[in-house]
Amino acid sequence: MKRLVEGNEAVFLGALKAGATFFAGYPITPSSEILALAAEHAARDHGFKFIQSEDEIAAANAIIGASLAGAKSFTATSGPGFSLVQEAIGYAHQAEVPTVFVNVQRVGPATGMPTMPAQQDILQTKYGSSGDYYPLVFYPNSVEECYRYAITAFNAAEESMSPVILLSDAFIGHLNEVVDLDAIEVKVVPRSRPPLGTGKRSFSGLAHDEEGNPRTADAEVYRKWLSKVKARHEEVAARYSDFKFKGNTSSDTLIISYGIVSRVIAPLDSEFALFRPIRIFPMLGPELQHYAQGYKKIVVIEANDGQYGCLVERELKREVIQVPLLGGRISLGLAKKGLSEKLGREVH
Amino acid sequence: MFKELLKLERFPTIWCPGCGIGQIMIQLAMVMDELGLDHTNCTVISGIGCTGRLAGYMNMDSVYTLHGRTLPVAEAVKLVNPSLKVIVVSGDGDLASIGGNHLLHAVRRNPDLTVLCNNNQVYGLTGGHAGPTTPRDTRTVSSPAGSPYDPVNLQNLMKAGAKYFYAKTTVYHQVHLRHCIKEAIAWPGFAFVDITSQCIENHGRRLGFNSAYEMLLHFRKTYKRAPDGAEILGPDEIGIVRKG
Repeated sequence: MKRLVEGNEAVFLGALKAGATFFAGYPITPSSEILALAAEHAARDHGFKFIQSEDEIAAANAIIGASLAGAKSFTATSGPGFSLVQEAIGYAHQAEVPTVFVNVQRVGPATGMPTMPAQQDILQTKYGSSGDYYPLVFYPNSVEECYRYAITAFNAAEESMSPVILLSDAFIGHLNEVVDLDAIEVKVVPRSRPPLGTGKRSFSGLAHDEEGNPRTADAEVYRKWLSKVKARHEEVAARYSDFKFKGNTSSDTLIISYGIVSRVIAPLDSEFALFRPIRIFPMLGPELQHYAQGYKKIVVIEANDGQYGCLVERELKREVIQVPLLGGRISLGLAKKGLSEKLGREVH
Repeated sequence: MFKELLKLERFPTIWCPGCGIGQIMIQLAMVMDELGLDHTNCTVISGIGCTGRLAGYMNMDSVYTLHGRTLPVAEAVKLVNPSLKVIVVSGDGDLASIGGNHLLHAVRRNPDLTVLCNNNQVYGLTGGHAGPTTPRDTRTVSSPAGSPYDPVNLQNLMKAGAKYFYAKTTVYHQVHLRHCIKEAIAWPGFAFVDITSQCIENHGRRLGFNSAYEMLLHFRKTYKRAPDGAEILGPDEIGIVRKG
């Protein structure tokens, strides 16, 4: 049935569709609707478990416990809350625990601008915890995609045996669009690991061998483990090499943008070629290289001070023009103004 | 046999000779054996620190969590699978300092968990730093002039809940320790066992003890059984206070 759905609601409904039965969270704008929906759902359906945690740290660790106990689990947070869950994200990578973290981005650092959208956590999703890890990160730009990629995030989590991050922002999270979610066909990957109480396994944040024995001073065991985990993440990522490309043969410039910014600048397609990565990490290296080929100039427009742009530059090994949209005011006018300045000509 | 509940192939443990944690582990395994708890119906969850390593020696599914995060993990496990007996074993620093906020809220929510707290009054693994339970004026690596603060009052913290179970015991009082663990496991709610224990290598020697044995004798001399039905345990009393 077609109806008006909000981005945050679509994320929650996608999680349910994916088989999630556990949510823990701490209220924080602009992600709180997901927590409220989880609370309401738990009140109706006793198979669905909900904890309003004392802080985001507790929530992040609760979803890890829930996953080990056999539930598909998730949390949703924003801004400073996303900083607080970083340690747990690292733990889930080390202990190989599938779970989903939703981050509805707002302007930071710190308390920043709590109700204004931003894309300032891009690098934090990849590098926020200690150590080396290979996160899978998706960033939808519509209500329908919020639903779709919430499901994808759960699937990828089970396949990669690791936490997957679903990015959103204050605009996408609060965006209302008419969609028919029932009509969306998606596959759901079943739970990958037998729950606690069925074996003699040791789950831990320590470096470990194949049997789970702590191996905290053996470089060879660690290297072998990390390369295995890396290969698994690359293999899973390859199943979700999702992006949108709109070529423009009359233009010499390709604009790369994602999430809310890609929606805002969509009208520029008459003047520019547009590329939108949906799988933000691991980066779409070969795809970016392929589509950037015919274009003299590469521009990255994003609501941060060049976080993805610097990685695109590294990926393409060529100069990238950066147009930052800062302070939560994301508009086509602002993007055109930035483009005009950087390209040295009037963009209409 | 309680030994079947331990991963003997991982022995020797990482703990120093004379450490109290091994005794807690043995008593826990004996109680579990008596109650029929094993890998099919029980899980052990621990935090960071010397005590944290205990989970990995139990011959069942276990989780060695992040520092301070045993309780959020354990609460979630219990919520997802209420039929599983969930036993948390961790140190005083892990539970009462870095995990203090979770402890406060676990008391409020009263989940059905058994918590064994190895209370050695020090951060042993890091080399002997003052912790939340270090008595006032005690010299440690991080309090060379003596700890300036009174220790956290775990008994009062537990009693902040409308329903509570708080047991105080020591590694010296083995029969009492086992009794406390058994009662805690049977308690239908949040049960906290505060086990005074010895860290000879990174604490006791600095305090003037020559051996773990001397520390145990000190526990014997210091602690007396509280009268049955006592509603409050004095600082030198062992016993159980509870309200259902």
